[in-house]
Amino acid sequence: MSGKAGKILKDNLWTNNPIFIQILGICSTLAVTNSVRNTLIMTVGVSLATAFSSLTLSAMQAAIPRKVRMIVQVLVISFYVILIDIVLRAYLPDVSKQLGPYVGLIITNCIIMGRAEAFAAANKPFLSFWDGLTSGLGYMAVLVSIAVVREVLGFGSLLGFRVMPQGFEPWTIMIMAPSAFFLVAFVMWWAKTVQAKAAVKAAAAKAGPKPAPAKA
Amino acid sequence: MFQKQIIMRRVLYSLTPIWALSVWLYGPRVVVLTAVSLALGVLTEYLYEKRRNGKVSEAVLVTATLFALSLPPAAPAWIAAVGIVFAVFTAKMIYGGFGRNIYNPAIAGRLFVYISFATVLGRSFTPAGNFGLGAGTLLGRPEVLSSATPLAVWRSGGTVPVLNLLTGLRDGSIGESSVLLILAAAVYLIWTKTASWRIIVSEVAAGGALALALHFAGVKAALPPASLLGGSFLFVAVFMGTDPVSAPKKPASHWIYGALIGITAIVIRTFSAFPEGTSFAVFVGNTFASMIDDFVAGRMNARKARAEAKAAAVPAGASPQGPGDAPAAGTGKEAAK
Repeated sequence: MSGKAGKILKDNLWTNNPIFIQILGICSTLAVTNSVRNTLIMTVGVSLATAFSSLTLSAMQAAIPRKVRMIVQVLVISFYVILIDIVLRAYLPDVSKQLGPYVGLIITNCIIMGRAEAFAAANKPFLSFWDGLTSGLGYMAVLVSIAVVREVLGFGSLLGFRVMPQGFEPWTIMIMAPSAFFLVAFVMWWAKTVQAKAAVKAAAAKAGPKPAPAKA
Repeated sequence: MFQKQIIMRRVLYSLTPIWALSVWLYGPRVVVLTAVSLALGVLTEYLYEKRRNGKVSEAVLVTATLFALSLPPAAPAWIAAVGIVFAVFTAKMIYGGFGRNIYNPAIAGRLFVYISFATVLGRSFTPAGNFGLGAGTLLGRPEVLSSATPLAVWRSGGTVPVLNLLTGLRDGSIGESSVLLILAAAVYLIWTKTASWRIIVSEVAAGGALALALHFAGVKAALPPASLLGGSFLFVAVFMGTDPVSAPKKPASHWIYGALIGITAIVIRTFSAFPEGTSFAVFVGNTFASMIDDFVAGRMNARKARAEAKAAAVPAGASPQGPGDAPAAGTGKEAAK
């Protein structure tokens, strides 16, 4: 069991990361990543929504008729997203205002639907919960690292605290969506290069004994 | 270390007089900006090419020079550094290096700093002439700033002497100064078949026609006809739009491509909040370059197929000629439109 959970964790954070391998949830990546605080709250919201909807859908999978499963999935997801929206409005009204429609749009975030279809429909509830949560963490890891770059360069601050020296000139383009486009591209490039190199190495290790003496 | 590229060398030769004049206009600041831009541009490409044992293209020298010339004279050196590294790395090397980039790197770098540091660059125009003495200091932050770039003057209802536009004795970005030198460079580049005359002509003609039409139609925001000599309209038409890598490849597409850039430049310059629109226009042109090529190729293939069908139909018999001709003429008219 723990081996399986560990594999899910590694899959969702690295080998099958929702952002740079599955390329899902890109819309919110472009929209909310210009401040670290908003990004953190948004990604926590997505993680929780994914985890709990996966849990619920997995628990009730036997009761869902196949033909209407999408409608049921959206209903369950929107239930959790509305909860998150209400909590944000009550306790963090300014963040809720800044995120605007993007909280509600978590419902249409492809990652949640993707996990519900690809994992929760065929696995046990608690494993599904774990899968949803780690998928959200994979999403969070990428978005937060992009947000750090964008906030530091675009505002000269980190989580609202000034980190750059006095004379620092903010890079306006980092606050705008285009910068997220090429920063996401940089992350994808980096991750895929590292993975490709690891794959080559693994292949070489498998075929190891043969070419090694030839070289020597 | 460099791979020899005769075309790029010719562009550098044609830029030399413009650069020399700009040193007289703005002094040592120009030398510093060009040096920073060249050094970091070459370094970026060298570090990238070293990993795959490639050579540095001479095109990067053109990119770096054009980028430096597109900056305002008192632009801080660090902005030049950020811009050129972004230009060479993101707009060129990532795509696979020389010959594979979609966008003109100099334009990409210019737009990156133009959007990021709009206020700083807006405060970096200095009075022209006497090796930049008019700015108060020769290096560092200038004491005297100029807000009287030709486009700004026209916008506030003033006039700019045409003679100053021709000789280059007017405020503005470093390289866009003298219309005469830019024209001389254009003649040289066209003479040596380095730049496509079709792009330059169609760009200037389409942009010029639109600017005149707007002016004489009495559009409020339109600038006077002399504005075609101010700003970077001609500089961009001669040096940026004609970049052989990011422009379309077929001669026939050059007409469409140039016209697209010219019209976009004038539309943005006239109707947007930005003071100048030529960089955006080249970006738009680059975006559609391969599509234009595709369109032109499709048209040419269709025409060829029609001609072949006709040639095959004629010797076969005399009677089907009439009805066979009619649809061909109809589509021909369509194409003429």
